[in-house]
Amino acid sequence: MPPVFNEKCTACYKCVEVCPGDVLREGDGKPRVAYPDECSHCGACMMDCQFEAVRLNLPIWMRPVGKRVK
Amino acid sequence: MTKPIKIDVLVIGGGLSGCMAAINASDHGAKVAIMEKSHTERSGAAGTGNDHFWFYDPEIHEPRGWTIPDMVRDISTDGEYGKTKGGLMDQELLEIVAAGTKAAVDRLESWGVQFKYDKIYPWNLQYDAPEGEKKYRIVPQFQSEPDTLNYDGRDIKKRLTEQCEKRGVDIFNRVAGTGLLTMDGKVVGATGVHMRTGEFHVFEAKAVIMATGMDQWRLFKPHNGQWFNSQSPPYITGDGEAMAVRAGAEVFILQAGKSQHNGFQYWRNIMRSSPSATTCFPAGRLVNADREVMIRHPAVREPMRKYRQNVEDSVAEGKIPFYLDWTDAPEEEIQYAEWAYGNEGLCWALREIMKDLGLDFRTHMIEIELEEPGRNGGGFLAPFIDTDCKTSLEGLFACSPVQFAGEVAAPTYTVLGWRSGEKAAEFIKNMPEPEVDPDQVKAEEERVLQPISEAEGFTWQEVNIELNQIMEEYKKYVVGFNPPGGRNKMSTTGFNNCLDQLAKLKEAKMKAKNPHELVRCNEVMNLIDVGTLMVRAAFEEDQFKRGNWFLGKLEDDKPVFRLEPIKVKYPPQEAA
Repeated sequence: MPPVFNEKCTACYKCVEVCPGDVLREGDGKPRVAYPDECSHCGACMMDCQFEAVRLNLPIWMRPVGKRVK
Repeated sequence: MTKPIKIDVLVIGGGLSGCMAAINASDHGAKVAIMEKSHTERSGAAGTGNDHFWFYDPEIHEPRGWTIPDMVRDISTDGEYGKTKGGLMDQELLEIVAAGTKAAVDRLESWGVQFKYDKIYPWNLQYDAPEGEKKYRIVPQFQSEPDTLNYDGRDIKKRLTEQCEKRGVDIFNRVAGTGLLTMDGKVVGATGVHMRTGEFHVFEAKAVIMATGMDQWRLFKPHNGQWFNSQSPPYITGDGEAMAVRAGAEVFILQAGKSQHNGFQYWRNIMRSSPSATTCFPAGRLVNADREVMIRHPAVREPMRKYRQNVEDSVAEGKIPFYLDWTDAPEEEIQYAEWAYGNEGLCWALREIMKDLGLDFRTHMIEIELEEPGRNGGGFLAPFIDTDCKTSLEGLFACSPVQFAGEVAAPTYTVLGWRSGEKAAEFIKNMPEPEVDPDQVKAEEERVLQPISEAEGFTWQEVNIELNQIMEEYKKYVVGFNPPGGRNKMSTTGFNNCLDQLAKLKEAKMKAKNPHELVRCNEVMNLIDVGTLMVRAAFEEDQFKRGNWFLGKLEDDKPVFRLEPIKVKYPPQEAA
C-alpha cells in the first residue's frame, strides 16, 4: 500500500535515510517497505527522491474523492 | 556499563522545537547533542512542512491598533476562536510566544526559509510596503486580526538540520529516548535505544531539554480506527511525558472531555494540516451537497456560530456530504491554493496523488469529512514549565510538549525551543561535570531491552489494542456514562477497574523480534505510564470543574496532585 518504486530508482536510499516512521529499509537493489502498516503516508520519500522514482499508493480509505462539476 | 556520551546539553527530540533549542544552546556556548527517534530532516509535526505561522510584527500590527495583549486575549479568551478554549491556555507563555514570533521568522528567513514574496494577493492583508519590496502573505486564520503568515515551510526541517550541523551539534538519528537519569533529584542525562541497530545509548549531560512533541498518539483509539493515519505524526507517542513522569517531574494533566464541533478539519482524515481553516479560503469555499456556501472568506468576519449553524442545518436537511469547492475561483487563486497546499503536512503528497487520480481543483469539488460533534475526546498530559522553560526537576527543561499553549503550534514550539536552549545554556554555566549512577543505567538498560530478550510474549500491537480498550473505558467514565448526580459513584468504580487493568497490562510480557519492534514496545510501555497517571488524576473530585487543570507528579511511585485555576493574566475586555 505505501510507496512503490519504479525503474528510475538508483538505490541511493535517501528515502530510507529520512523515512520518519522507519518504514523503509534497504532492499534488494531498491528500498523495501519493511513495515507497511506503519506508513503514515507523509510523502517524505516521494518529496526527497531526486529521481522521481517513488509514488505513494494510498489505501482506499484515504483516497481523495472528487465530484466533477465542470 | 555502556560508556556514556558526555555533553553539556542533551535535547530529546529533533523536531521544530528540539532543533531550535539545540541551535540556541550551541550559540550560547554549550556542547549539544540531539537524540532523535527518526531523522531530523523530516521528523516531527513539521517534518513534511509547516505552511502558516501566527506572528506579531510591530511594524505591521501597531499601526492597526493591535497589541500583543490583544492578540493573546483574542486567541485564548475573547475572540471567536478564543471563546472555545474554555480559559485553558497559559497566557503567560502565550505572551512570550507572541513577543518572540517576529524574531523567529527573521531567524528562519536568514536560514533560507522563504516568508516574503514578490506578489501578494487581494485576500492577503494589505499594508503599505514600498513598490518592488517583497512582502509577507498575511491572512486571518481563526483570529480577529490577520496575523498568520502563509509561507513555504515544506523544507523547514532541512534548513534547521543544516543549522545544527553548521554548529557542530551531534545528531543521533534513529535513537529513541527511553529514560531520564537522575542523581540526588537532579537530571544528569538520559538513555536511548537505536531503532535499527538496537544499540543502547547513555548520555551524561548537565541539562536535558525535553522536545519530544505534543501528543500521546496511540494512547486512545483513533476515531478512524487507523493508528498510523493520524492528525499528528503517529510516531509522537508520549515518550517525553513518560520519561518526565517516571523521573518525578510535575506534569500538567487535562482530563478527557467532549470534543467541540469544529466543522471540517480533515480531508478524508489525512491532511495532517489545517488548510481548510487557512489556505483554502482564499480560493476555496466550503459547500454542502447543493453547493450552498457554509462559510465565506474569513475576512468577511462571520461568526463561527453562523458557520456551525449552516453546517447543522445542512445535515438536518440532508444536504450532505460537504465539499471544498474551488471550481468557481479564478485561475490565479487556484494557483495560490495549489502552492499553499503543498507546504504542510501530507498535502504535498496528496496534491501529487490527485494528479494520479485525475482530480483537479479547477473541475472537481473534493469531499471532506465532517467532524462529529460531541465525540469523547482523550485527555492530555505534558511537563509543566515556568516562563524559563524549567520543569520542577532541576536540570530538566521542556519546550514541547508543555502545558496548554500549543493551539498556535509551530510558533509556540519555535519560540519556546529557542528560549529553552538559551535558558539551559545559562543554567549549566559553572555546573560541575555530571555523573550518572551505574546501577540506574544498568536497571534502565534491562528494562528497555527486555522485550528483545524474551523468548515469547505479546506483540506491541496486541498490548496497544488492550491499552486503547482500557482508555476507552476511562473516557466513558469521565464523560460518557455519567447521568447528572450519579457521576462520582460510577466513576470511582470504573476508574479503579481501569487502574487494575493498566497495572496488569504493565506486567504483560512483550516480545520484540528486532530493534524496530523494540522501540514500538517501549512506546507502548511509555503510553501505559502516561495513561495510568491520567486515570489516577481522574479521582480528584475537582477535575470536573470547568476551567481547572491539574498538576501531578510521582513521589516514590505515589501520585501527588494539586489543582490550580488557570492564570488569566489579562482582564477580559469590556464589551463596547
